[in-house]
Amino acid sequence: MTGSGLTSRAVRAGLIGGVALVYLALIGMIQKFDSRNLIGDFLTLGNLLMALPPLLTGFLAIRPRLVGGQHEEAGRRPALTAGLVSGAVVGGVTAAGVALVEILPEGAVRRIFIQVSPELLSILTFGRGVPLGLVLLVVYGAVLGLLGAGFRLLPDRYRRPLGVGLAATLTFALLQRIFPPLLFELGLDTRWLYSPTLLGLTVPGALVVFAVSAGLAALWGARGPVVRERVRRLPPERRKLLNGTGLLVLAVVLAVLPALIGSTLSQVLGTVGVYLLMGLGLNIVVGYAGLLDLGYVAFFATGAYMTALFTGANRVTSIGDLVAPAFALHLNFYLAVPFVIIVTAVVGLLIGAPVLRLRGDYLAIVTLGFGEIAKVAVQSSWLQEFTGGPQGLRDVTDAGIGGIGFRDPQPFFYLVLVFCGLAVFVSQRLAGSRVGRAWNAMREDEMAAEAMGVSTIRFKLLAFAMGAAVGCLSGTLFAVQIGSITPESFTIIVSITALAVVILGGMGSIPGVVVGSLLLIGLPGLLDEFEEYRLLVYGAALILVMVLRPQGLVPNVRRSRELQEDEAAQDQWLKSEEAPAVTVGGGGGAS
Amino acid sequence: MTQTRQREDESPGPVARSRTAVLAERIPIRRIILVTLSILIAAGVLVGSYKTLTLTEGRISAAGWRDFLIFGVALGSIYALIALGYSLVYGILLMINFAHGEVFMMGAFASYFVARSLESAGLLDSSPILSILILLVAATVASMAVAVLLERVAYRPLRNAPRLVPLITAIGASLFLQYTAASLFGSDSKGYPTINALEGTWTILGIPIGRSLLVSIVAAAIMVVGLTLFISRTTMGRAMRAVAEDKEIASLMGINVNRVIVTTFGIGGILAGVAGVMFALVFGLVQYNMGFVPGIKAFTAAVLGGIGSVAGAAIGGLILGVVESVAPFLLLAGIHVPAPNQLRDVVAFSILILVLIFRPGGILGSGEPERG
Repeated sequence: MTGSGLTSRAVRAGLIGGVALVYLALIGMIQKFDSRNLIGDFLTLGNLLMALPPLLTGFLAIRPRLVGGQHEEAGRRPALTAGLVSGAVVGGVTAAGVALVEILPEGAVRRIFIQVSPELLSILTFGRGVPLGLVLLVVYGAVLGLLGAGFRLLPDRYRRPLGVGLAATLTFALLQRIFPPLLFELGLDTRWLYSPTLLGLTVPGALVVFAVSAGLAALWGARGPVVRERVRRLPPERRKLLNGTGLLVLAVVLAVLPALIGSTLSQVLGTVGVYLLMGLGLNIVVGYAGLLDLGYVAFFATGAYMTALFTGANRVTSIGDLVAPAFALHLNFYLAVPFVIIVTAVVGLLIGAPVLRLRGDYLAIVTLGFGEIAKVAVQSSWLQEFTGGPQGLRDVTDAGIGGIGFRDPQPFFYLVLVFCGLAVFVSQRLAGSRVGRAWNAMREDEMAAEAMGVSTIRFKLLAFAMGAAVGCLSGTLFAVQIGSITPESFTIIVSITALAVVILGGMGSIPGVVVGSLLLIGLPGLLDEFEEYRLLVYGAALILVMVLRPQGLVPNVRRSRELQEDEAAQDQWLKSEEAPAVTVGGGGGAS
Repeated sequence: MTQTRQREDESPGPVARSRTAVLAERIPIRRIILVTLSILIAAGVLVGSYKTLTLTEGRISAAGWRDFLIFGVALGSIYALIALGYSLVYGILLMINFAHGEVFMMGAFASYFVARSLESAGLLDSSPILSILILLVAATVASMAVAVLLERVAYRPLRNAPRLVPLITAIGASLFLQYTAASLFGSDSKGYPTINALEGTWTILGIPIGRSLLVSIVAAAIMVVGLTLFISRTTMGRAMRAVAEDKEIASLMGINVNRVIVTTFGIGGILAGVAGVMFALVFGLVQYNMGFVPGIKAFTAAVLGGIGSVAGAAIGGLILGVVESVAPFLLLAGIHVPAPNQLRDVVAFSILILVLIFRPGGILGSGEPERG
């Protein structure tokens, strides 16, 4: 590769990285995240966010390019130069932006971009004002770009432990609200690890975390394959024992977790559980059967309202009185749940029946319409007798057993845990069953499945009903958790959140849904400043996952193999440079 | 696809199927449901309108209906402009650009900021026509840029992916753009500067029409005619038709498919930008989530008219606008549903669902929307 080609690519990457950094600054993320200390008081989340674009740019600018089917590596020296250049361009673009703000009359930019405050400019220029700060910004970008490129050039033997160490340190720093109380309850002194005043890791603490995790990673790098091979060679009964022990440990940890982490974090975990249930339900529809349902909130709402009506709740009149709705049974919660499931499954059938013949993307839009209709309907005046209209329903049961209620976060966690366990079990059994295989076949190629005797209509209906049945449990638990339900809780955002959980984790993968809900629901719950950017990040995550890693973070084994085959087919096509005759399966039978 | 699915030749699975089950599949349940549904809807429409028109109290006057109608046409022409963007992209890539509503929103925002500086310069009142042109340019440039960027970042890398994949990125892009706007510009709704020249009404053929409504209708008409000419007369238009017909053959014929696709997104963006200005002028507000519901409605309009066709999108938009502004009152006021206006969105969504069930090809299309 010629050096100039590499340089021009580096400049281009730098421009993109610069735009990304300016974007992060303009939406106010850098400034808002600056109050969260990660390590001591010299690395805040804002600093990290500001460092990421140049680092990543340097890392990506020198990635080997596929030329004629072969990866072309750049030499060490030109690669480092390219990293330096790309990082400097990132800094330069940002500096140009800052300079522009300073040149224009005061407040002119802020009238449009409301986040451009003097504090932001001060962060971006390291508090040094305009001429010096801008130079510093370029140098800062160049150094980080160089570091990013250097990281890529490291041999794998060093790179992996380094990466793991950094990731572990960051994770510890980000989970600063979980670990200290946890360790404190266990009777450990955490002041050397987490600073009580700055909240983040202390500098020695960070160094220890880094050293230990990097060391472990290095050890695993040397010994890992051997250990894995030995586990694989274990006789089946021994391996089962190992798995059983693992599950037992997990169960014990989950059982004592709420007591250790306290009520606020249990609340967060409870919400994670509610979305996990929803994700598991949607996973059946989207992940297993390949039907993109954007109106999933309809089932969430049905679950919540039906629980309220079956167990007896009060509605609020427009003058603030509490009266019983026009329909109310006073069943025990656990007796009501099966009825709620049945009703929601029927709703699922009703929604599914008319739209099943539609092709994938139309189905998505129509279900979206149903979701919106559900919201408008529960809000409207003519269902007010039942749903309480905009004021909603109150005094939903706390699902108590023998006088012990489940509304408080800590007991609620156990309730959620039980329901999630059930849902995971059902999903897992479904996936491996005849039905699951029929769904798989249908998802991959509807026509072929039909030709092989899979009744697509019936299995699509079944998917809708099963998805609704599992998903409604999330609504049920939501009603128990909150105790009162209003239509505002049932917007399209809920559907899209559930979709993001499933997509990020990996379609059709149960561990994926768990990871997805922990990341997308748990993390914003832990770091308040994320809350404002939650939906922005969901949107970006949906795009990035689909472009970079369509199988999700924790892919379903079979599904990812399919997707890789698609990729292999595409690569082959690229190489042979023939017309793309491959119509990739998925969304349904076109052609 | 067959209307009823009879399947005696299903592979003999381990589960033997009873006679009643076989019999049940012979009965065209789907058709029965559809016919019942259509009879119910027709009856509901008739009864509702009859009751509304014969109301003794609170009857809506003829002038009231006329105003609903005019407003509906204006709203419909805005929908039509957005719908064209969906339709063009669908015609070429067979994908629903779910984020098109946000392209429209970005255009409205761009014109809002320009309008504010024009207002403070006093240009908005001294030379209204020039200002409106400037607003249109600002909005179309912004919308076009967003649409082209969207194609480059979110859709192009996935052109050969399974069909649901670009739809998912489109949903992601929609969310991303909405909340980008909320973070960049603030999430409160912003009052659009008023243009005095567009306040009040003009009387045409004895009918008073709100000025901003008339401007919207005229602008939409001009854009639709212009687009039709562009597609039928220019080389690029011909290339677009060729690519819509068959991408590979078109590229063999020497057409730069990527350029055609980018142009299509750009044109969709221009139309959405014009719609953004008109929407802001009619409603006087811009907000970060203003694109979502009009986006879905415009998609409805595109499907209603027959997705992929220019005339279809225009007709669908007009029908949807009129129905949406007239139907809630016509159908629901008579049966004493309080505040029928609340249910406007339900009308639009119901139309979408009904069209897709009964006539998925739309009014101008035929049969199923399956292509590709």
